Amino acid sequence: MPLFGELFLSEIVRKPVLDPKGEEVGVLRDVSVVKGETFPKISSIIVEKRKKTFAVPWNKINIFNKRVMSINVYSGSLVPYELSEEDLLVRRDILDKQIVDANGAKVVRVNDVKLEGLNNDALLVAVDVGMRGILRRMGFERRGEDLLRLLRIRLGQNLISWNYIQPLQSKLSEIALNIPGEMVSELHPADLADLISQVSHEEGAQFIEGLDIETAADAIAELEPDTQKAMFTDMDVARAADIIEEMDPDTAADVIGSLPTETARAILAEVEREEAQDIQELLNHESDTAGGIMTNDFLAYPPDITVEECLKRYRVDAEEIDSEAAYYMYVIDAEDRILGATSLRDVLLAEPGKVLAEIMETNVKTVTPEADEMTTAVTIAKYNLIAIPVVDSESYLLGIVTLDDVVDRMVPSRAKRKLRSI
Amino acid sequence: MRWKKFALFLSVIGPGIITANIDNDAAGITTYSVAGARYGYALIWTLIPTTVALVVIQEMVARMGVVTGKGLSDLIRENYGVKVTVYMMLGLFLANFGTTVAEFAGWAASWEIFGVSKYIMVPLGVLAVWLLVTRGSYVSLERILLMACVVYLGYVVSGFMAKPDWSEVIRQTVVPQAKLDPQFMMLGVAIIGTTITPWMQFYLQSSLAEKGVRKEHYNLTKIDVVVGSLFTDIIAFFIIVACAATLFPAGIRIGEAHEAAVALRPFAGGYATVLFGLSLANASLLGAIIVPLATSYYICEGMGWERGVNKTFREAPQFMWIYTAMLAMSAVIVLVPRAPLVFLMVLSSVVNGLLLPFVLIFALRLVNDPRIMGEHTNPRVYNYITWGTILAIIVLAVVAVVSTVAPLG
Repeated sequence: MPLFGELFLSEIVRKPVLDPKGEEVGVLRDVSVVKGETFPKISSIIVEKRKKTFAVPWNKINIFNKRVMSINVYSGSLVPYELSEEDLLVRRDILDKQIVDANGAKVVRVNDVKLEGLNNDALLVAVDVGMRGILRRMGFERRGEDLLRLLRIRLGQNLISWNYIQPLQSKLSEIALNIPGEMVSELHPADLADLISQVSHEEGAQFIEGLDIETAADAIAELEPDTQKAMFTDMDVARAADIIEEMDPDTAADVIGSLPTETARAILAEVEREEAQDIQELLNHESDTAGGIMTNDFLAYPPDITVEECLKRYRVDAEEIDSEAAYYMYVIDAEDRILGATSLRDVLLAEPGKVLAEIMETNVKTVTPEADEMTTAVTIAKYNLIAIPVVDSESYLLGIVTLDDVVDRMVPSRAKRKLRSI
Repeated sequence: MRWKKFALFLSVIGPGIITANIDNDAAGITTYSVAGARYGYALIWTLIPTTVALVVIQEMVARMGVVTGKGLSDLIRENYGVKVTVYMMLGLFLANFGTTVAEFAGWAASWEIFGVSKYIMVPLGVLAVWLLVTRGSYVSLERILLMACVVYLGYVVSGFMAKPDWSEVIRQTVVPQAKLDPQFMMLGVAIIGTTITPWMQFYLQSSLAEKGVRKEHYNLTKIDVVVGSLFTDIIAFFIIVACAATLFPAGIRIGEAHEAAVALRPFAGGYATVLFGLSLANASLLGAIIVPLATSYYICEGMGWERGVNKTFREAPQFMWIYTAMLAMSAVIVLVPRAPLVFLMVLSSVVNGLLLPFVLIFALRLVNDPRIMGEHTNPRVYNYITWGTILAIIVLAVVAVVSTVAPLG
């Protein structure tokens, strides 16, 4: 039983680790933890000597306290170990990071970590989030205490049991307990939003991930628009759709409307039909831009295929597409950037052996997704087009606006009935 | 609709321009005015390398904010531990406390030009700052700040009203010159020091992280940062020009920005005085809004204390106390007769100068760490320029200190 009682990580970090002969193997750099029965337990200690790191498994450790740390392996027989991102290292991944104290409903920072010996294991039982932890790390807990005693201030321990800790990094989720997650779900949505707004967006998204759909929807509704947007950006589409369904249609529309078109479209496609229609109706108010009226059903081919090959593909692809969208064929590179365009007429008239790059028109008229419908209509009319590609600032082909879509929007009676086609 | 695109632009644009402009605070305006009055156009050229360094450093910090979504004190704490963070926050507090005093002093002085007593304006200023910060939202705060940035154009107008000899201005701007004169060198150091400050690195990174600018929109942010930095130094340029064209030939020496405003009257007319004075008031108030607020945020962020302007003293005691104490103590120091105002400001600029190389070195190490930045680490040229700036600041600071302690003549 190497560890009796308890100790703080800061009391052993950078202290020497000895081998059976009493020679220094190196200094303690970190401890690696794995999921235990209740609390996470130390699986190995990481020792550092002259920039080299070694991992010593817990069962090779003799004594582990703040005065002596010794192992029953000789320094010569240790094999260097390269730290990986997969490892859960207490000092690297928990210390100094922000975590959620589910009991106090607060975001706190880990100032120190408390370890406790139980049977043959060393468990991570609590984190220190108080002033004491900071003073201990600074190396003057004692002096600080004396000074404060003079000032008649008593410095209490501010430890939070691992029972109440909800980590904010995905890699720590495997050592997280269930209780804090449940406690967090009980909190008021406004408190949850407050927690989320105090951590980085990535950590916030991770936190949302741990909530059930209903709680997540309530919490997101309370967030600032910028944060809302960030929460949805990397979320799994099915889950995002569930959350959107859970929201009021107007909140949902605000959120959906602020997302990038692609993300919004993907999420809405998963949302229940009736719900999605409500949202779309609301979105309609802001949909008078090229991005709002475009369709992403269009034909696009790489520049190096032959006219013959192009026609072969056309016969398959065009079947699914409306006739007005099937007149032009866009030539795109591997990253979907537009290189040129050609038409069904030009392809039919060209020699079958030529490649598209040779026959395409490179001076393609385009509009940005933000262009308003009037600009789009004027451009289409001016260049006598049947459809116009919508292209972003980096010339990615996002979709096309067809002539009939524009006409629909320009004729008021019909435009009113038309919903934004996400 | 067209406004939608503009709205996207506005929603991303902001932090860079605001940061860069608050940079021209009371201390900055004082430095530029004094430099222009004392040495004419001779120091203008330093604005060019300063601008380059400013753009590079701000861009680097902005990138960190966008990529990591975290503030600078957050990253320093997570990667370098408690000790470094505590000392750095302590330094930041001291330096920024001095800066806040300087802001309120500038605010008070600018109103004295118009004959309004500081015993009225300083409490009013504190109240305005307090209300705006505790009652306003981030968005409204940003709008007001952006609006206030426009007032800086008053300096450009003053610059033209001073009717400088433009060919001479341009010649001295592009031809660097140095004088072996301790005060000249001190002012050179001060121009860099007042343009590139520790707190603005923290402010810019946090406000970008909080805004949640997406990596895809980073190009807009880049424009924001570059335009902001250029704008700052263009304003600085016109301040120096205005003072250099009028006060320098007449041999009028000034020690304070509001003296410049008053001294301008016989040369450039009453309007120039009004413009100069109002711009100074505006700049000081902007600084007074941001500096104490930002400081409390970073300290609490780094230490892991509850923070936020909508919190009560009970919920976020450290945050509210640090913020309130900075505001209240600054106001008191400005109002109390014979307070050690000059000593505090010198102390503040010394701490700022000492802090800056450390902040930049930490920022540089963080931005070059692929574990943190992924593929967005610094291009090599950026590292060279930043290291160059750090070295220049250290050398200049040493020269400045030595020449103050043991003047050359």
